[in-house]
Amino acid sequence: MTRQEFLARIRSEVRRSPGRFAASVSERPARPGLVAETLRRELSERWPETLERFRREFERVGGAFHRVATIDDAAGEVRRIAAAHGARRIVTWHPEALGADLGSALAAGGLAVEAMPPGALGAGGERSALRARIAEGDLGVTGADLAIAETGTLVLVSGAGRPRSTALLPPCHVAVLDRGALVESLQQAGIFLEAWHDGEPAAWRGAAIHFVTGPSRTADIELTLTRGVHGPRDVHAVFVETPFRG
Amino acid sequence: MVTCLGDVFFPETGVRIVRLLRRLGVHVDFPRGQTCCGLPLFNSGYRAEAAAVAARTAALLRDAEHVVVPSGSCAWMVKHEYPGLLAGDAGRAARDLAARTYELSQFLVSVVGRTRFRSAIRGRLTYHDSCHLLRGLGESRAPRAILGDLEGARLVELPGADECCGFGGSFSVRLPEVSTAILDAKLARVEATGADCVVACDAGCLMQMAGGLRRRGSRVRAAHLADVIEDGA
Amino acid sequence: MTFRERAATALRDTHLQEALTIATTRFIDLRRRAFGEFPEGDALRDRAREIKEATLQRLDHWVERLVERVEARGGRVHYASGAAEAREIVVDIARRAGARMAVKTKSMATEEVELNDALERAGIAPVETDLGEYIIQLAHEKPSHIIAPAIHKTKGQVAELFARELGRQVAADPEALTRIAREELREKFLKADVGITGANFAVAETGTIVLVTNEGNGRMATSLPRVHIALMGVEKVIPSMTDLMVFLAILARSATGQKLSAYTTLIQGPRRPGELEGPDELHLVLLDNGRIRQLAGPLRGALDCLRCGACLNVCPVYRQIGGHAYGYTYPGPIGILLTAMLHGEGAVKELAHASSLCGACADACPVRIDIPRMLIDLRGAGVSARTAPPAERLVFRTLARILRSPALYRLSIRLGRLAQRPFVRDGALPSLPLPFRAWTSTRDLPPVAARTFSERWAELEREAAPPPTGPR
Repeated sequence: MTRQEFLARIRSEVRRSPGRFAASVSERPARPGLVAETLRRELSERWPETLERFRREFERVGGAFHRVATIDDAAGEVRRIAAAHGARRIVTWHPEALGADLGSALAAGGLAVEAMPPGALGAGGERSALRARIAEGDLGVTGADLAIAETGTLVLVSGAGRPRSTALLPPCHVAVLDRGALVESLQQAGIFLEAWHDGEPAAWRGAAIHFVTGPSRTADIELTLTRGVHGPRDVHAVFVETPFRG
Repeated sequence: MVTCLGDVFFPETGVRIVRLLRRLGVHVDFPRGQTCCGLPLFNSGYRAEAAAVAARTAALLRDAEHVVVPSGSCAWMVKHEYPGLLAGDAGRAARDLAARTYELSQFLVSVVGRTRFRSAIRGRLTYHDSCHLLRGLGESRAPRAILGDLEGARLVELPGADECCGFGGSFSVRLPEVSTAILDAKLARVEATGADCVVACDAGCLMQMAGGLRRRGSRVRAAHLADVIEDGA
Repeated sequence: MTFRERAATALRDTHLQEALTIATTRFIDLRRRAFGEFPEGDALRDRAREIKEATLQRLDHWVERLVERVEARGGRVHYASGAAEAREIVVDIARRAGARMAVKTKSMATEEVELNDALERAGIAPVETDLGEYIIQLAHEKPSHIIAPAIHKTKGQVAELFARELGRQVAADPEALTRIAREELREKFLKADVGITGANFAVAETGTIVLVTNEGNGRMATSLPRVHIALMGVEKVIPSMTDLMVFLAILARSATGQKLSAYTTLIQGPRRPGELEGPDELHLVLLDNGRIRQLAGPLRGALDCLRCGACLNVCPVYRQIGGHAYGYTYPGPIGILLTAMLHGEGAVKELAHASSLCGACADACPVRIDIPRMLIDLRGAGVSARTAPPAERLVFRTLARILRSPALYRLSIRLGRLAQRPFVRDGALPSLPLPFRAWTSTRDLPPVAARTFSERWAELEREAAPPPTGPR
């Protein structure tokens, strides 16, 4: 069927149908960017409570929460996490995407670290080789664009320097974030989503946004919960008290 | 309103209700010629036929100040479906009738204002929420208020009280194997409570549960709420 | 086999019975706890229902917007009027991509159009990656539950299956079995040319396809292969991201009791220029297959369905017989309505009666679909269309006549008393000939009373003391 035919069909049925009751869609902010900014400022005033709620919910869904003072301490914490998991090969978002050069700090500690390139790669061969290396990674380090306290969710936007598989292929995922990512609810996350999609996307923006709520899981066999089906088995959040993202 | 099942199979329950209400100071009338609220026809998709029966029944009950119904499903039919089934003046009258119609426990608790009665049987009782009373009329508290307050009997909560007993009207004979499997699950729960009697406010549920309990030779009885309330005040 | 026969077969399957009881009870408890801790839940359900209705009222506008936005981001949209066309479109895209193998995430829509067979016939191997779907694919079976498709299999059976089909010996331990599936399927994800998914929602204002999963296969299938094809019923479109948050808040809670599933993936077009990963091509296939007609039809309410499975878990019928007995892609209460939508009212002649009308489904439904009402409507359609058996129609019409005539009513009672005499035992009717045998084979029946209430009224009236002054 063509688009015209398909839409015409819908249109004619819509015209023939009495609605069931008066109903309206959700109101959306007219200037979502401004609303998001205002929200961001308000949230920054009560971040400790939001953080506490996030920690509780994150742990409730099986995440491991860590808190450090500075971004340098964060590197140490990631090293400790890696040691606990027996992880040797680390892949990280590009430093610009992370907001800090964690990769160098980790490599200094003797781990094999590969930071993702800043953009796309040329030939297909390079890409699949890189992907194979990500797939062999033991631990992936990313940032988090939002941390939703209501549900213990990390929101990761894909894009340049922040490929999707960093948080997907290695069995252990570590997200490093500061108070700037914290939001209280799904509803607030919605405001940011509206803002992010308002107008043309920034050049670095990728096509996927992932909400990550705990590790990969299934109960398909006899309702017994097992973790790490296709995605990571372990998810860690390292919260850095001193803001490090611009 | 006595209901068809009540009239034909459980007349004693109806008699007890009349006597109980009289002791509570209620003047009880019974418009003659009642047959059925029409629910069996309605549920099987015979809407026009159901409407005709509903029109007749509604007309019979027209002058009652309150209509008291021993079955949640029939009370639901009058309150929720009559206004939609009947058109014009009859529809308006039906809306009016709906507002004056109560299932028995609702009537006792919210109109008569009484929850404390003597129990007609000793021992432990458990309560099954019939689907139309629970979900259709939103009523789960009134029967429990009365049963919990019964002097001489103890109410134990039935796990899965809100789960269907498997009656479903013609469902019970269209798909008897499934209906019986659902019933078996319900009766297993009932027997596990250790109760001597399972109480319900619907003749359909009672027919189904009593039928199953008898067939398995259970010592547990199935009884209507009115059966466990002592006539005397 | 009739539905009744399939149901009876399911009832005799003791293992299935156990699995169903455990699984549905677990889901019921999880859902109850999730909403118990969620006071805003009820208001959000009303809101969700309203958003769905508002969207349907202007569905043409919202679909048009969705198409615009998907194309603006480099995606392509295709239009399938029915199952055959959907298969054609998907196979064609996959073929043009030179695919030999396609990884699939759980999608009822792809089941509905029977896509896998068509792919195989075209020489493209479909690989189900949702663990439950993977298991039943290996076993050549159909899913028995919308959310937990392999609920009817024991871990022992899965271990045997893996040994037989994959040549991998392992203990009958869910962890070990999951690890095998992870390894086997990771290879597939990395090698596949095409990823085929459904979509839980599509956001019109942004052209975003939304996938809700727990395992991570949704992320894999939409990030690794070169081509991503999403097949989606047209009624799944919702207007905005703000609307999406309302649905996300209630979907997982209704399905499994989780606040959110492990992964919610928002996809806006194929890989963008700066991106390392993601498909080169994104195709959204919009599916009608009986849905559009219901906008003005009696099953419009069923278009609100989020495919959460909550109604299955609470349905007394489904809990006893499981999914296969229904005989169609979609089982359970909503399944009966969807089957009528897809295959016509004739297809649900028996299924429309596979319900005691208890209403637990409508209670559990996150968008408050009035399933019992639509089942009664379907039954009524069977009566009007005369697809209901003539004998039955005669019985009910006779019943209607009896109930409208006090004389006939009284006569029937007298006849009943007469007829039952030889069968009364100890105050009950334990055994009756057809058609009442359907009842008495498993249950006693009370006899018609020697004197009905109506017959006793005269003396009851006389019993009354002078009229009291209380309520009437």
